[in-house]
Amino acid sequence: MQIRVGSGPPRFETAGHFLSGTHAQVDPVHVTVTEDNTALTWVDAQGETHLWPFPIIREVPDQSGRDILVLRNHYDSVQRLILPNRDIIPRLPNHAQVAPLANRGRLIAWAFAAVASVALIIGVLVPRMADQLALFIPPKGERALGETTLGQIRSALDDTGLAPIAICNQAAGQKALGLLTDTLTYHVDLPFELSVVVLDHPMVNAFALPGGYVVLFDGLINAAQTPQELAAVMAHEIGHVVSRDPTRHALRSAGSIGVLGLLFGDFAGGAAVLFLTERLINASYSQAAEERADIFAHELMRLAKIPPLALADMFRRLEQDDGGTPGILAHLSSHPQVRDRIRAAEQTQQVQPDFPVLDAQSWRALQQICAP
Amino acid sequence: MATASPDPLTTEFVGRRWPLLWLALRTGGLTVLTFGLYRFWMKTRLRRWYWSAIRPGGHPLEYVGDPFEKLLGFLIAVVFLAFYIGIVNLVLMFASFALFHGNVAAYALSFVGVMPLWFYARYRARRYVLARTRWRGLRFGLEPGAWGYAGRAMMHWLLTVFSLGLLLPRMTFALEKYRTDRTFFGTERFEQGGRWTMLYRAMRPLFVAAILLLVSITVFMTTNDPLPTILLGGLGGLLFVYGIVHYRVESLRLLTQEKRLSGVRLSLVASPMRVFWIMSIGYVLAVLSILLPGGILGYLVIALQFANEAPQASGIGLLRSLPHWVLITLSAMLYFSVFLIWSAVTHVFITLPTLRHYAQRLQVLHPQALSGIHQRPRDAAEQAEGFAEALDVGASL
Ligand SMILES: [Zn+2]
Repeated sequence: MQIRVGSGPPRFETAGHFLSGTHAQVDPVHVTVTEDNTALTWVDAQGETHLWPFPIIREVPDQSGRDILVLRNHYDSVQRLILPNRDIIPRLPNHAQVAPLANRGRLIAWAFAAVASVALIIGVLVPRMADQLALFIPPKGERALGETTLGQIRSALDDTGLAPIAICNQAAGQKALGLLTDTLTYHVDLPFELSVVVLDHPMVNAFALPGGYVVLFDGLINAAQTPQELAAVMAHEIGHVVSRDPTRHALRSAGSIGVLGLLFGDFAGGAAVLFLTERLINASYSQAAEERADIFAHELMRLAKIPPLALADMFRRLEQDDGGTPGILAHLSSHPQVRDRIRAAEQTQQVQPDFPVLDAQSWRALQQICAP
Repeated sequence: MATASPDPLTTEFVGRRWPLLWLALRTGGLTVLTFGLYRFWMKTRLRRWYWSAIRPGGHPLEYVGDPFEKLLGFLIAVVFLAFYIGIVNLVLMFASFALFHGNVAAYALSFVGVMPLWFYARYRARRYVLARTRWRGLRFGLEPGAWGYAGRAMMHWLLTVFSLGLLLPRMTFALEKYRTDRTFFGTERFEQGGRWTMLYRAMRPLFVAAILLLVSITVFMTTNDPLPTILLGGLGGLLFVYGIVHYRVESLRLLTQEKRLSGVRLSLVASPMRVFWIMSIGYVLAVLSILLPGGILGYLVIALQFANEAPQASGIGLLRSLPHWVLITLSAMLYFSVFLIWSAVTHVFITLPTLRHYAQRLQVLHPQALSGIHQRPRDAAEQAEGFAEALDVGASL
């Protein structure tokens, strides 16, 4: 027998419980520290001696009951030693160490696969299918899609939470708007009947929706200095309608919304929906689609004897009014290529107007279309 | 020697509110800061905490799930579900507008299309959680069978809907039996006894509520007097909400006392009134706690809208002069703090007290039969609860 002299560490002994992980019995055990102060040891109910060296002992984390200490052993996943107090903790150097990550390669591989599959679906598959399906949707269905989307946008833009924002229908203004629309479209055969709608909202914006909807905000009508400028924006939106950009876009969002919700889980689900509403309004079509709509607008304006230069004027005005606040012009000028589009409108063949596109009285009426 | 049956094991619950609040806030904050990535750790840590608080016979449960395997399961689920959800939603939206000129059909079809997946996900999640739960050192387990579960669940749901809810007990019982009969503790299999008709007594408040609502409609039809209709209807509605809670708690109690594990029986004398009370108080507190940040958030969102305005529109004073991105950041932070507070308060005032109530009313009868039970092999459960996580299948725990 060895006799210790001097100030060794105090003896440690306590009653505890041992879970062998092989059967449902809980063994009451007497736990002590070995003579050399390097390990915990005890004898279980089967008479087997256990020896856990301090460095391999880990504490099971996030336990709610502070009256016990649950210990495990790095090399055995099922055995547990439960002690009635935390006195032993200072002697366990690695008690807080977490289990190392197993299968790191697999995790990374699946992470890549997940990102790739989402990118493939949102970036390639859904747009391609949307482009194809947009051609097959019957006019009546497309109209319904536009109506539904307009309803959603009107509700989303409402601040009061009471009713969707109003459609402006002051009679004289409506008449002027009809005149402007007729002048623009007189020489072309559109695939749908066009519905031009003015929303009572100060945003300087306009967009097209499926089924021949062109939506103008009151803010845009007020920002335009001449009827020609407003006509230019309308011509651009009609260009989107004709090439069915909004239909594709609506179908794409239908496919993408669910996938994004899937990724972020419930904590950001609401944010994802807000984000998508924002995108619906500020519909960013591809650069090619914008150029197509511009070229169509130039042509439409020439036919209606409106100089395409008006589009350039409008872009420039929007750019100045913008004053660095993002989001104000939405898709009309959101891309950096707006300069190129101004240049294109300046350089295309111009025409001389025979007469003003709207007389002064009609223009005033149109600007008052949202007046009560 | 007479073998007197030992006393039943009672269950202690040792979790306190403040440590849980702190844990929920801390892990929730990390979840927000990591754009949702930490939610796998958050869930794991909260479960470890809850499980360890429940001590049947004085010995805590242990949850040994691993956040990384949860993340892996989630990634696996995303690979498959992104395809399914993206393409299916797109095609449904197209078909719905092309054929029915509206989106109602699309939402309905998309809902029905996701339902089997939803049940599948729930069963997988249960299998994973049971495989990672231990008591007295032994693992629980659930046999594979998620598709069989999804098929039965769909069938029973249809029957329940077509029978106007009259066959609800049949569904509750059949699904619980399907799960219980595949559940193991160590080497021993659970067994669900009893009959589905025994659950009708749990539906009594729901029946009374239905009668009250019917009477209130009849009274309105015959007398055109709104006052008794509102009184009866309001009472019926309130009783209906209570009835749902009552049915859940009472059917759980009835089903639990009919479960067998070799010779072991369980008893759960939970009180529906108590659970209803906990939930009512909990939700009132949760709503109150998010009123302030929610109100500021609403104000900021309005300010954001006005920031878009042309100059002539009236401004909201100081807020207008702040840069746009400051407002956006503030709104985002508030939005997430609302999420955080809601999650923490519901944990502390709903999940914890409900779980404590259940735990304290749970007894293990004839525990001597436990001694013959041995360990079961580990279930890799590779997809973990990925599908449930991705589909956001209920279960805050
Ligand atoms: Zn455009």
